[in-house]
Amino acid sequence: MKNFLALALSLFIGFLIIMSLRNNVAFPEYGTVNVASRVSQAYLDRDVTENPGTVIFGESVNLESGPANTVTAIVADYRSFDTLGEVTVLFVSSLGVALLLGTKKQKRLEVDFHPNFMLRVGSRALFGIILMTGIYVAIHGHLTPGGGFPGGAMIASSMLLLYLANDSFRAKIKGFKILESAAGSAYILIGLIGLLVGGYFLQNVLDNGTLGSLFSAGFIPIIYVLIGLKVGSEISGVIDNFLTEEGV
Amino acid sequence: MSAILLIVIPLLAAFLSILVKKYSANILLVVSFASVVLLNYIPLEVITIGGFAAPYGINLILDQYSLIALYAVNVLFFLVVAINCAKFKKLSSILLVALAGLNGMILTGDLFNLFVFMEVSGIAAYLMTTTNQKPLATFNYLVQGTVGSSLYLLGLILLYAMFGTLNMQDMAFQISSSGYHIAVTAFPFLLMFIGFGVEAKLLPFNSWVQGILGSSNRLTGPMIASVYAAAIGFVLGRLLTELFVFEGTLLLIVTAILGFSIVAGEAMAFGAKKVREILLFSSIAQAALVALVFLSGFTGLAALLLIANTAGKLILFLITNTATDQLGNDDISTLQGLFVNNKVVGVSFTVAVLNVLGLPMFFGFVLKMNILLEFFQTDHLLWPAVILIVSVVEGIYFIRLLLKLWFKESDLPQVEFEFTLKYVVVVVAALLILFGVYTAPVEQAADDLTAIQYIEGGNL
Repeated sequence: MKNFLALALSLFIGFLIIMSLRNNVAFPEYGTVNVASRVSQAYLDRDVTENPGTVIFGESVNLESGPANTVTAIVADYRSFDTLGEVTVLFVSSLGVALLLGTKKQKRLEVDFHPNFMLRVGSRALFGIILMTGIYVAIHGHLTPGGGFPGGAMIASSMLLLYLANDSFRAKIKGFKILESAAGSAYILIGLIGLLVGGYFLQNVLDNGTLGSLFSAGFIPIIYVLIGLKVGSEISGVIDNFLTEEGV
Repeated sequence: MSAILLIVIPLLAAFLSILVKKYSANILLVVSFASVVLLNYIPLEVITIGGFAAPYGINLILDQYSLIALYAVNVLFFLVVAINCAKFKKLSSILLVALAGLNGMILTGDLFNLFVFMEVSGIAAYLMTTTNQKPLATFNYLVQGTVGSSLYLLGLILLYAMFGTLNMQDMAFQISSSGYHIAVTAFPFLLMFIGFGVEAKLLPFNSWVQGILGSSNRLTGPMIASVYAAAIGFVLGRLLTELFVFEGTLLLIVTAILGFSIVAGEAMAFGAKKVREILLFSSIAQAALVALVFLSGFTGLAALLLIANTAGKLILFLITNTATDQLGNDDISTLQGLFVNNKVVGVSFTVAVLNVLGLPMFFGFVLKMNILLEFFQTDHLLWPAVILIVSVVEGIYFIRLLLKLWFKESDLPQVEFEFTLKYVVVVVAALLILFGVYTAPVEQAADDLTAIQYIEGGNL
């Protein structure tokens, strides 16, 4: 009965969605939005505070927002405050995992799985490659698709590999805690530097450089590396909490 | 001093506190007190973040309305923390994040940023409620809260697809200047309202409340019923008065939801056998009443009513949950005669109850009186009738409860109330009486708040 009610409710909501959006003059059909009248156009043209003319990859210098990757420009510059909030969401989630699963003395969860020598050695080799890819993605977040969150997830996945391939492996969790705390605090301090120097919290007060070069976009690559470290260490901590249990 | 510090300082403290767990409770206490002090030094302004003006960047709005909301939430938060921080050391970092999230929710002028802070403070609340030791209830809360905020997000996505902006002010302006019929935004607004309804305890989206508040402890009871209720109420009030446009069928649906919440909440409180259940059902009804007053356009009175209710709930839940902790359960029969030997606590409890009832001499009376007058002036007779009838029902079950708690001959329950708790409840109760007698500043504040119109559009 419960399942039937749930199905009926879902169908009703689906029906409501279709009815309210079909022939709705305000809801544009896919692909027909006039972007020029919306905020997104200004993000593409980088002309919120000034008029830089045509934005050209590799040539435009010191734009109001420096990342060549427009998504990064929005996520980590125009709407950086949201990103700080998202970082906090992950932070409080990992705190919650530690609150519920963490105990004082921990040991690896007993599972009936004993990896052989080849798997352990092979995973160590892979670990380095995955870790480097993660760091690369985080560092190049302002130029190519990716950035701190996926980069951090890759860093954590390299830790997950070590945990899975070796039943006695434990990372130094204390180090992760310090990294997590330092990276988060540094993000806020960068924001406060913006407040003190430029007058606005999270304002990018460094030179934005040439669009598309590795050393460009001021604080953005630094912030993305910090986010990568924070996300990586937080998810690694979560993995550790899930794969350990109380004991000596 | 910028209002951004109210969000940033607790957040920074939370990030640092995980390294010095020993002192995290002290950090929490200092930071929550510092937020209250800081409120006195921040000017009213619109704060731009990142140097990009709204609607391109995110802004915070600190007007008279959000200032009074911040005062209420930060003071209540500090009081709850001051009483509990020693016992719940493990939660210190989470509580710091919660403070940042609640302040962010109240301040933000951006609809997506609001979602982010809803998530932040929501997750912190789910984690706090794990201390109730009722995992299933917490899981229920988690699922309902997440579905609620997803509905809010879905509504916001639709609005963004229609109007291409996330800023509240810009959104309201775009909607009002587009010239579209109001029906086009009805569905997204309804989704966002339901999303908020989950957190704001509106029926029928609030089945988590009984599991959470019905088994709450001294931290979670006051935190969810008082601090969170205040913050959510103020944010819902802002959206109702300044963004949402409810007319026609949609207005009917929303009013029906609110009216049903008021009547059903009071009815369930009337039938409840446990003290905490009486309190939680009555707070469902009050939350809906506040939303209704916001919806009717009496912003100032609604804001003050919200403060009166949540301050009262702080006293009620603190006392009830302390007694429950020591006695093992909260059946009325167990708590009978509780105040015979605890007169100070009993008087504060009684003041809070009478304030919620809206009896003369108390803060709640001034507000209910003015609300009724406003309704009469606009020739709405249905709502005054509903308010008066449910007040009678409220009166019956609350007075019945008070009589039980005050009178018993022998075999009295033994409960120790520590000094900090007594101090807090007495001061809050004294304030409720003070503003009930000295009404001029209350009426002035209500007028000031109603006069504020930062944003075009909305219901007003």
